[in-house]
Amino acid sequence: MDSLGYLLAALTPYHVALAIGGVVAGTVVGSLPGLTATMAVAVLIPITFSMQPASALILMGAIYTGAIYGGAYAAILLNTPGTPSAIATTFDGYPMAKRGDGDLAITLACIASVCGGLVGALFLLFLAPPLANVALSFGPVEYFWLAILGLTLISALSQGNLLKGLIGACFGLLLSCIGVAEISADVRLTFDSQTLLGGIETVSALIGLYCIPVLIDLVATPDRHLKVENVSRGYRLHEALGISWRNKFNLARSSVLGTLVGILPGAGGSIAGLVAYSEARRSSKQQGSFGHGAPEGVQATESANNATVGGGFIPTLVLGIPGTPPDAVILGALLIQGVRTGPNLFTEHGSIVYVFIWGLLIATVLMLPIGLLIGRYAYRSIVTVPKALLVPTVAFMTLIGTYAIRNSVSDVAIMIILGVLGWVLGRFGFSASPIVLGLILGSIAEQGFVQGWIIGAAAENLWGEFFGRPISVGIFAFILLSLFSPLLLSRFRVKREMARAD
Amino acid sequence: MPTELQSRDTGGMIVAAIFILIGVLALWDTFDYTDADSFVFPRTVAGSMIVFCIALIAWSLVRPIDVESRGAESTPRRVGLVTAMLIAAVLMPYTGFLLSGLLAFAAIVWLAMYDPWTRGRLIVYPLVGSAIVLGFYFLFTKVLLVPLPTGRLFIG
Repeated sequence: MDSLGYLLAALTPYHVALAIGGVVAGTVVGSLPGLTATMAVAVLIPITFSMQPASALILMGAIYTGAIYGGAYAAILLNTPGTPSAIATTFDGYPMAKRGDGDLAITLACIASVCGGLVGALFLLFLAPPLANVALSFGPVEYFWLAILGLTLISALSQGNLLKGLIGACFGLLLSCIGVAEISADVRLTFDSQTLLGGIETVSALIGLYCIPVLIDLVATPDRHLKVENVSRGYRLHEALGISWRNKFNLARSSVLGTLVGILPGAGGSIAGLVAYSEARRSSKQQGSFGHGAPEGVQATESANNATVGGGFIPTLVLGIPGTPPDAVILGALLIQGVRTGPNLFTEHGSIVYVFIWGLLIATVLMLPIGLLIGRYAYRSIVTVPKALLVPTVAFMTLIGTYAIRNSVSDVAIMIILGVLGWVLGRFGFSASPIVLGLILGSIAEQGFVQGWIIGAAAENLWGEFFGRPISVGIFAFILLSLFSPLLLSRFRVKREMARAD
Repeated sequence: MPTELQSRDTGGMIVAAIFILIGVLALWDTFDYTDADSFVFPRTVAGSMIVFCIALIAWSLVRPIDVESRGAESTPRRVGLVTAMLIAAVLMPYTGFLLSGLLAFAAIVWLAMYDPWTRGRLIVYPLVGSAIVLGFYFLFTKVLLVPLPTGRLFIG
């Protein structure tokens, strides 16, 4: 079958209906804090058992891509990332919503998500086998440095000073160590508490650290949650398309970055969004507007995190190594269907893989009208619902969403306590983002660090193991750049202003 | 309206000192671990955190920062919200998720209410709240098949 045949097979009414249903279900699930893309895909897996493999993949891919986009709603309207990949969306999305541009931010996020999703899927269609080798060139030390790069980027980007961000990142890494150690089974940092024995679940921590401080502040004042415009401005699609066209290079660069980061197993949308956001800010002429409601920030993050969907499928399908947690669930579903992933998948099961990729492209395109419709409804709901109903509804969603992750009351208590901690720390300039990302990246960082340490110690070349490999050195250089470039740039700016004043 | 003043970051320094204490506690805890795989990472992270905290305290001593003064905000309502959520979490295994959720919802509606309680609101808000709680309960238990606690008090 040629490309046109695969496209036509993906365009059957049945497959289009699956794509629409998947995107709607994924977007709704992703928008609810506590319900992740992984959970959505996992819950729906039994439905796919009776389907043909290509149809099952189209449904799961559509749910996945919809859920990643859906995470933007809560990030923009409630300052709570629906999924970890939307962390950087809060930086500019929420300030935009607070000043009355929440509708524009959601439309921009939808357009950016579609662009990113399309770029990721096109890379998957045309460049999957050669790009899969990128994943193989990353060893444990490279993953360690990549996790540290993510943490230094968020420390430098989130509000407050750099040292506070780094302290928060270290605290998040320590939180990730709580519980039973994976390799040696040592019980760590629980201080004999049974509640902490299971460790801190990352999504419940994310809900607590982002959502509870917003609720605590909402309940304290009679002010409205978001600024409300008296005149309905529709989807603001024309305005959003204009902004997207003006920032086309930002969209393209962020989408490619998202795809490349998505290829690396474990790195996921959170690092992709941060790297793209950092690059967008660095190359912008209006760097000062970032963090205060810059549309470019929302576009960079949302295009990058949706590009990780296609990027993550590259190692999953070519190497059998899942790029992200939802990919791992999808890989399991494929194995149950009797499809063995690997380098020969594209030649031996072309009819499955190519129909799926075209299906993913169709689902991504469908995300534009579906995302705009649901986004409009979400915006109107959040803006018009009285505060006395909004606060308890969100609070109840945090309780039920957190409990559902591991069916654990301990997780609910930890979520609330972390939320209070996040609110207190926020009062003193410590942002929640580095803590959350430290918690998310903790296991990748620890695994890479410990393996690198063991290899280096055995070879009696610890320094060479961490600083002697080309990719490690490259990432380390980026870390130094992200740490010191804001300092050097501000010094340079002050000197230039002083020279101009003289 | 929040205003900004130049001041020493005393709060930040106190938080940094608490983080130093947490770092020391974490370091102390690592001496009980049996395997190097378990302690090498937390020790490195705790050590780095202590160094960053000391640097922050030193930096705060020499550089004043902009401190935002805040408007009138209700601390009792904040405490009430957190307390209501914590009580719901504690009650969950005994009364079941549905009852504890309904109680928490009602308490938080009362806490978040700044407008006068009209007759319409007295009727509509409890109805809407019950519909939301029951709707999510149904979604999670029947559709997503999450086994929410039913409550020990009611099953003997």
